Amino acid sequence: MKDYLLLIKTEGNVWTDLSPEHLQKHMENGGAYIGNLAQNGTLKSAQPLDKGSRIVTNENGQLKDGPFNETKEVVAGYFHIVAEDMDAAVAIAKANPIFKDIPTKIEVHPMMPIGGN
Amino acid sequence: MSENTHISHLVEHLFRHEAGKMVSVLTRIFGPGNLELAEDVVQDTLIEAMHQWAYKGLPDNPSQWLIKVAKNKALNILKHEKHKRIYAESLQRISEVDWTTEDLSDNFFSEQHILDDQLRMIFTCCHPAISTDSQIALALRTLCGFSTQEIANAFLTSEENIHKRLVRARQKIRDDKIPFEVPIGKELIKRLGTVLETIYLLFNEGYSASKGEALIRYELCEEAMRLGEIIRLHPLMDEQPEVYALLALMQLNASRFQSRIDEDGQLVTMADQNRALWDRDLIAKGMANLERSKANHRVSMYCILAMISAYHCSAPHFEATDWQGILSMYDNLAVINRSPLVLLNRTIALSKVNGPEIALKELERLHNIPALQTYYLFYSTAAEFLMESGDFEKARENLKTAIEYTDIPSEKEFLHKRLNQCQKNIF
Repeated sequence: MKDYLLLIKTEGNVWTDLSPEHLQKHMENGGAYIGNLAQNGTLKSAQPLDKGSRIVTNENGQLKDGPFNETKEVVAGYFHIVAEDMDAAVAIAKANPIFKDIPTKIEVHPMMPIGGN
Repeated sequence: MSENTHISHLVEHLFRHEAGKMVSVLTRIFGPGNLELAEDVVQDTLIEAMHQWAYKGLPDNPSQWLIKVAKNKALNILKHEKHKRIYAESLQRISEVDWTTEDLSDNFFSEQHILDDQLRMIFTCCHPAISTDSQIALALRTLCGFSTQEIANAFLTSEENIHKRLVRARQKIRDDKIPFEVPIGKELIKRLGTVLETIYLLFNEGYSASKGEALIRYELCEEAMRLGEIIRLHPLMDEQPEVYALLALMQLNASRFQSRIDEDGQLVTMADQNRALWDRDLIAKGMANLERSKANHRVSMYCILAMISAYHCSAPHFEATDWQGILSMYDNLAVINRSPLVLLNRTIALSKVNGPEIALKELERLHNIPALQTYYLFYSTAAEFLMESGDFEKARENLKTAIEYTDIPSEKEFLHKRLNQCQKNIF
């Protein structure tokens, strides 16, 4: 089993326009999905991201930080999962019900094993 | 990660109904001039719930959780210096009634308070100063948690149209300084009339021949009944038989909903409906409310319509229907409401009691009414009587006229089917 980082990137913040009914359906679908992953040991951790991100850069030897101006693409959250291989990880990403709700991109990154795992 | 990450199936429409409760309570805090703010806070609360519950699991009492978080957000807004100016009026009201932050806690959010606030919201939305279309849109949005898109789907119009209606309604509330309260005394009786009319209109939108998807239509009926229940629960309404009558009418009509459309989405007449599909619970509730509505001498239109519906609901099969009873009801109804539609529906009962020829004579009389001359149901009704009395040729003519006068696809389909049968001389 290998570790994979799934980065969920949605187009814009569509949540501001979703009706309560739609939100509930999304929650039930998402909850079931996450619940399954957790129960069969696939999910190591997951969390949604909040607003107010900042970005730290090194310009001409000076460390700066400023607001992270996300354009249309918003990093909505991450999943840290374990899977047999990349194909399996991709399959798990494809099953995320968020695709039904908003335009979404999920990046699937293989993680390097840390000694002792 | 918490153990309990699996979200069990949430109560149906939980978010939608909780949104309605939250908006009502928040409108009491912010004032009716700030409906959009209340809606924004509710939206934020639901989004937060969604994110937190998905990762931490469901709280023990989701309803309480939502109210508490919405309350905290409201408090933060009120406390914020920047907003003190904008919501000065709200704050002043709060201090007038000596509301401290402790008050904005359990006191504000008890079941009774939530009910009271929803009732205030109903009366605010259904204020006669607001156009009826806008009343319904506003009620669906604030009390029933429908999005603009969902309302537009229900009324087969554009989201932009609904948005305009909502903007107008909110502006009217501000301009006319419509207060957030339930009227009392004579004012209550007068205003109750408007409220009940609007709820009845909402119910009929859902109940009328299916244009859109059947699912959204029944939800409208459910919302209308739910609003009716909120009104009924208020102690002042004990002496308002019309409220019980309207509830009875809606429940008795809604009980037959499942049998009115077959698997192919086609309309099924009363005669052919599978009565095993009727909702017995709803019928029982409707009958109970009907009894309560007869307490007063004042017989309302809703009461009579409910009794007609009750006659249908209590008949074990179509042939056992008490048409004489129904005809008497229509005669009573015609006294207080001589609308063309009532008179038309009466002829159906008339034909069952006195035969199709007498009913046809009555229809000829009614053909003088302009509204009926272009009404498809007039011609389809005539066709039925003609078929029953054996005049299939005239029946076909009338059916063709009926088809021309309606745009509703399901109705057109039904009429075409009837025309086919008619062409084979089948009644």
